[in-house]
Amino acid sequence: MVVVESAGMTDVGRRRKGNEDALYLDDQQGLYVVSDGMGGHRAGEVASELVVKTIRDVMAGFETPAAVDGSLSPVADRLVGAIYEGNRKVFEAGRGKDAYRGMGATVSAAVLTDKTLITANVGDSPIYLIHDGHIDQLSVTHNVVSEQAAFDPEAASSLGEDVKYLLTRAMGIEESVSPDVFELPFFRGDAVVISSDGLSDLVSPEEIQAVVGEQTADRACRTLVDMANQRGGHDNITVIVVKIKEIKQRGLIGKLRSGLARKAIGFLQRYL
Amino acid sequence: MPKLTLQFKDNVVGEYGMEKGKGLTIGRLDSNDIVIENLAVSGHHAKIDSVGDGYLLTDLQSKNGSFVNDQQVTSHWLQHGDRVMIGKHTLLFKYEKGEERPASTGAPAGAMDQTMVMDTGQYRKIMEKAGKTTDPGSGLKGEPAGVLSYLAGGEGEVEIGKKLFKIGKSASSDLVVGGLMTGQTAATISKRPNGYSLSYVEGMAKPKVNGKAVKESVMLKEFDVIEIGNVKLQFVLKG
Repeated sequence: MVVVESAGMTDVGRRRKGNEDALYLDDQQGLYVVSDGMGGHRAGEVASELVVKTIRDVMAGFETPAAVDGSLSPVADRLVGAIYEGNRKVFEAGRGKDAYRGMGATVSAAVLTDKTLITANVGDSPIYLIHDGHIDQLSVTHNVVSEQAAFDPEAASSLGEDVKYLLTRAMGIEESVSPDVFELPFFRGDAVVISSDGLSDLVSPEEIQAVVGEQTADRACRTLVDMANQRGGHDNITVIVVKIKEIKQRGLIGKLRSGLARKAIGFLQRYL
Repeated sequence: MPKLTLQFKDNVVGEYGMEKGKGLTIGRLDSNDIVIENLAVSGHHAKIDSVGDGYLLTDLQSKNGSFVNDQQVTSHWLQHGDRVMIGKHTLLFKYEKGEERPASTGAPAGAMDQTMVMDTGQYRKIMEKAGKTTDPGSGLKGEPAGVLSYLAGGEGEVEIGKKLFKIGKSASSDLVVGGLMTGQTAATISKRPNGYSLSYVEGMAKPKVNGKAVKESVMLKEFDVIEIGNVKLQFVLKG
């Protein structure tokens, strides 16, 4: 059993008219998702909503999608399946209606299982893990400058400002998509932060770590959004903060107890 | 929609309409959208992507380069009236009369602020052409793979082939180890964007890295020595 304290917030920022970001968080499901949409005439909003809802539904569903990657655990595999499904939905919607043509979105998702944190992402919305005084990025930034830097740092630094931040991968642009996936154990006191680039462009990881370390999840979201707005708020700003408060050992008694509790709830739901 | 007019000296030799959401390629080979048969032109010379409201010209590392208004460019946001020189040919980029044009500040309106995606298929093609294989499934492009090499308690080496690699007494572990105090899953190694980390999971005996017990997790450095139960392993990067 994992006890978490989580909060999420999205803000239109200072310069945009609409909010193309979408987010979803559910402690029960242990699922946290941020999506940053793109495309004119509200298409970006449609794309990010579709991504978030599809992932929520696939993760809540009972049918396990066919295994996609043998190197992943079953839950990680399911998350990748959910991202495939989200991509397919946006791609199809984009083809169905003229106003939606070319729309797309990023996605960054985290799943907390009993023992591990699973992250998956497409695009440039960062996922951070704060552990033991350090903040690490657990997502891969799919834009031109980051991909270039991976094999040729010199060429990357000479790229024009106008192309650097173009995405090299996004949801709904092509028929298939490949997310980057990571899975690792987490510990009491850790925190996971997922945001859109509206925050990470303006607030550094170290600043995020300091705010999350000092404030409640709810308060930290508010503070981070305010910081981005004070610095210009050029884009929509979205942030989810998840703090691991307690990890209860699931011994034999714990297992029995939660098993019984689940049966009792099932019984009540069925007969009341 | 803007139009490209292909000229050789003062003669118009072709006209091509641009479409939002559709890029095109320029080169000597027939597989291009705009074919220019001239030895000064590379097989795949340049491309134009439709990005947001604008059009982005990118030189595909051509032999003789691409020029816009007499300046050599690697990438350039096309504006009304731009003259693109490919070899001895000129492509004139023009919007229709009265057609809405993106702001003339180089990048289209708000390009820096807006989330936009490149034509990913074409991007991948350039990368592959440049001999850079991008494995879309892996976040550790071009980076070496982690391998555990036995120093004691076994022989040979085991590749860390999973995102979450389990080491412990349990038969379902990716690397099975013995030892009275060793947990069913004593430790896990996770692939991360910046390398590999080892975490303690369960069992009376904690795993050790370079002789130091791991209470939670540590990033692994090459040649670190890992002790779990009755085995001693060295972490090595390969490839």
